[in-house]
Formats: sequence, structure tokens, C-alpha cells
Amino acid sequence: MKNSRDIFISIFVVIWLLFFHYESTRVFYLQPLLKRTLPKIKFLFPPAGWIMFFNVDDRGGHVEIYGLRHGATQLINPHEIIRTRFIGFDMVHRNVLSQVLAPEVRPDFCRVLEKQFPEFEKFIVTVVEYPSLTRSRFEQYQAPVYQCPL
Amino acid sequence: MNNLWHRLFLAQRPSISLAFFRIPVALTLGFHLLPTFLPLKENYLAGSFRILNTSFFTGAVLSFVQKSPDSLIMVMAAIFCVAWFFFLIGFRTQMSAIVMTLGAYYFYALNAFAMGTLSWDILLVTLFLMCVTPYAGDYFSLDCVLRKDPAAFARTRPYFLQRLLQMQIAFTYFYTGLYKITASGNWLKDNPIYYVLLTPDAGESGVTKYFLLRDFFMAHPGLCYVLGLLIVGIEILMPFLLFNPGTRSTAIYLGFIFHLTLLLTLDVPAIFFFLFPAQLLLFIAPEKILMWIDDKRTIYRSAPPVQVIYDGQCGFCSSSVKMLKAMDLFDRLTFVDYQTHPNLSALHFDLTKEKAHRQMYLIDPHGELYGGFFAFRRMTWLLPMLYPMVFVMYFPGTKMLGPIFYSWIARNRYLFHKKCPNNSCLR
Repeated sequence: MKNSRDIFISIFVVIWLLFFHYESTRVFYLQPLLKRTLPKIKFLFPPAGWIMFFNVDDRGGHVEIYGLRHGATQLINPHEIIRTRFIGFDMVHRNVLSQVLAPEVRPDFCRVLEKQFPEFEKFIVTVVEYPSLTRSRFEQYQAPVYQCPL
Repeated sequence: MNNLWHRLFLAQRPSISLAFFRIPVALTLGFHLLPTFLPLKENYLAGSFRILNTSFFTGAVLSFVQKSPDSLIMVMAAIFCVAWFFFLIGFRTQMSAIVMTLGAYYFYALNAFAMGTLSWDILLVTLFLMCVTPYAGDYFSLDCVLRKDPAAFARTRPYFLQRLLQMQIAFTYFYTGLYKITASGNWLKDNPIYYVLLTPDAGESGVTKYFLLRDFFMAHPGLCYVLGLLIVGIEILMPFLLFNPGTRSTAIYLGFIFHLTLLLTLDVPAIFFFLFPAQLLLFIAPEKILMWIDDKRTIYRSAPPVQVIYDGQCGFCSSSVKMLKAMDLFDRLTFVDYQTHPNLSALHFDLTKEKAHRQMYLIDPHGELYGGFFAFRRMTWLLPMLYPMVFVMYFPGTKMLGPIFYSWIARNRYLFHKKCPNNSCLR
């Protein structure tokens, strides 16, 4: 180490590599090993490491949202709900709507649906599940999860 | 040990690859975040549907950002756009990187639903590293043009940042592969590629695109399984393949093929195509890039020159020539001051002092003479840093407006420089 700049860079590199590998292994390797919950480094790194497509099972599912008017139901195109268009990919196809099933976001989501689609009196948020894609690809079960207004 | 550490992180090496890498980083961020601004009201303003990422941010930051009035959100969107554009063109590069990254964090804290994906988190890791040093503006940037340093492309810097970006991509592959066969990953006991292909597109939620061979693979689950194992194997081996000089180029090719395949078959975010392949190019030794540039320079030096005839007594013109020299990566241009050249007609039969006084000229290797706007337009084909301007130069209407704008600049060129005692005397 010739100068303070080299020392500074070395410290940065060591800390960065420690953080990087800690966050890469924290959830699925370190926590089971140490049998306790370890803190996540805030403001950086994915929530549970680099888990792209790491577990894809035989089942599938998505959310469908229906509008009700005069007793008739109508499936709402998800692209009318999420209108942001990205270049080269589509958030709807990434099943982003499944996030609206979480209980804490339901009131907000209902409010947005009512504002965005005033022509409907009610909305039904449903989940569609495929029990086994390999055994019966098109067999699906649909169940309402909640209604708007709540 | 000390030597190895020095070679890995501290050695001064050319920063040209990192400077180039800045552009795909900017494009990836732009492609990911800017589309969310188009429906700004729907995504961010009061009343929008928001999901907060509580695992990424602290509660204090989230509640602080959530208090933003609409006016602040609009101002932040404008600031982000300006900082993003500055970062893209490399103007005040480090500062714009920091402001742009803070902007990206702000909108992420405001509404993770609008753009939050796993790859967004990965992009933020890269952005953080880009904020750490000013090297990203060493070349292919407005900063280097304004510095007017003709050797800017060969500038050397501590290598640690490029090395960390290399390690980031290599270990991202490694851990991605490892997770698939350990932890809760199921790529050994199940057939994930086959399952992904089978997912119907009902509700428009299927992540698989309708690509050419989809039906073929759907009919061959065994092939999907083998392909899955092959992908996992390559992902785990990637750090070794990338850091071993003997297999490096193969690994880069494999990475490119992998990301192209992902883009063609799955609805994956822009980062997979714009950022990761560019990050793989960081494994090419920057000295090799400089050697390639040197080879090109040698070739062009022995070829007939491209001559630019300019006014050497105009400070603005001399300053512009220095900027062009900084941009002239392959040493294509030779500059000729018409004020001191004894015989302009020897350069081109149609060239006179009177003509050269009116506007800049360019004589290409075939002896073709271009004047004013058209000389500049010809230059955009010669200087890599001006390549993006080619599109602008040929945009409908530019051929008409360009010469008008150019001749106004040329007429008033003696008024444009900051300090020049001989300005008025030459007018």
C-alpha cells in the first residue's frame, strides 16, 4: 500500500465484498446455518439473494379482476389497470397484479379501481390457480378473494 | 499476496471500458424508470396505488418520502430526467450519477409497485458502484470533450471499480445457479423450464413469450430438463470461465447467447439485455481495447487523410478543433488552419481563402469537399462519439435548418469565445 488512496480503496473493496456475499447467502444459507434471523442491509441488494427463477413448480396462478354492472360481470383487461408500458417487457406478464392480494393493500387498490373504472358498480378480485400444469394444463380453479367496495 | 491484491484492485489500468459501460447503465435505467413517468399521476401522484418495499427501505425513509406533495414529485421527476440525460451524455458525470441514483431511490421509495422487480434491485447495486468514482466520465462523455484532452481514451485509473463490477456479474450468475439446485431451488428434482413453457397465457400473466420453438420444447420435457441442467452448470461455472483468460471469450459469448435467448423467450426486464451483456464486456482487458484502437489509428494514419479546414485565428474554432481531437478516437482527422496554409487550392481545386473564411470545410479521403453543416454531418460518420448524432443529422428538415443554423454560428464565431483579445480586430 503506497498511499492513503490505496488504503481507502482496499477498505472499500473488502467491505463491499463482505456485504455482497453476505446478502447473497443471508436468507437461504446463513440463516439456516446460524438458526436465527439476520438483518438485511438496507438500501441495497435484493431481499433474498439472486433468486431469479430458482424455484418454478408445477402449479401456476394469476389474478383476474372483474367489474360488475347491472348484475353482469366483465373481465377487465389487466393492461387497462396497469397502464405503464415498458420497453422490451411487460409487468402484467410478470404477474405483478398478484401483489394486490395482500390484505394491507386492498383498500387502496379498491379506491383506485373505483376511480379508474367509474362505469362499474362493484369489482371482484379473483385468483385463478392451475393445480398441475403437467397433468392437466388447462384445468383451473377460480375463487373470489375480495370485493370492492370492501 | 500484496502483489496479487495490487494487481486485482489497485493497479492503474485504462478506464475506457468503464466509460463505455456508463452508456448501457444509463439506457437500462432509462428504459426501466422513464416509462413509469408517462402515467405519472397513476404511478406516483396523490391517490395512486402504491406498494412500499419495507424490506429495502427503513420505515423513516418511507414515511418521509410518502409525505411528498405532488409538486415535489413532479420536480423530482424533472430532476431525475435531467440528471439521467447528463449521465447518459457524460456531463458532470459523477454528480449526475449521484443525483440520478438518488432520484431512482426516491421513486422506488415512493412506489415500488411501479418498477420494483428483482432486476431493479440488481440495477441499484450497479448504480451504487457507478456513483463511487468519477471514472465513468473519462471517455465517451461531454466531460472529456470539454476537458479537450486528446489522450483521454487512454487515461488510466485504479482498476477496483471495474473489478467489482466483474465480480458482481460473475457471482450473480454463480449464486443464481447455486440457488437453483440448493436452498429451495428445484432445478434438479423438477423441470422448471418445462413448467414455465406450459403456463397458459390466460389473464395475460404468462411470463413466456410465444417464440418460434415453444411448441417443440413443450413436446420434449426431457430436453427441457437437460437444458435446465446445462444452464445451471454454466451459471455455476461462470466465475471460473470468466476469470480464466483461456475460457473468457467463450464465457462472454455464452452470456450473450443466454441473454438474447431470455429476451426472445421470456418477459424479462430490460436489465437482462442492456446491462448484463455490457457488464460481461468489462472482462475484456482494457489494454487489449487500447491495442485495438492503436491498430486502427496506425491503419488510418497510413490511409489518405480526412482534412478539416478551419479558421485558426478564431478562438471558438480552435477550441472546437481541440474538442474534435478529443473525440477523434481513431485519429481520422487532420486539421488545417486556412489562415496559415500557403496554398489551399493544393488541398482541393475548389477551395479558396474567401470560401474557407466563410465556413469550415472537410475533404474526405476520396477528395470530396464538404462545407459547413455538411462537413459537420460528414464528421458524425467518422468520430465514434458523434455516431448518435448521425440520426439527428439526417432527420427530416435538418438538411434545411442545419445550414441556416451553421451559417449563423460561422458568421458570429468571433463572438463566442470567452477570452480572446483579437476577437474584434478580426471581425
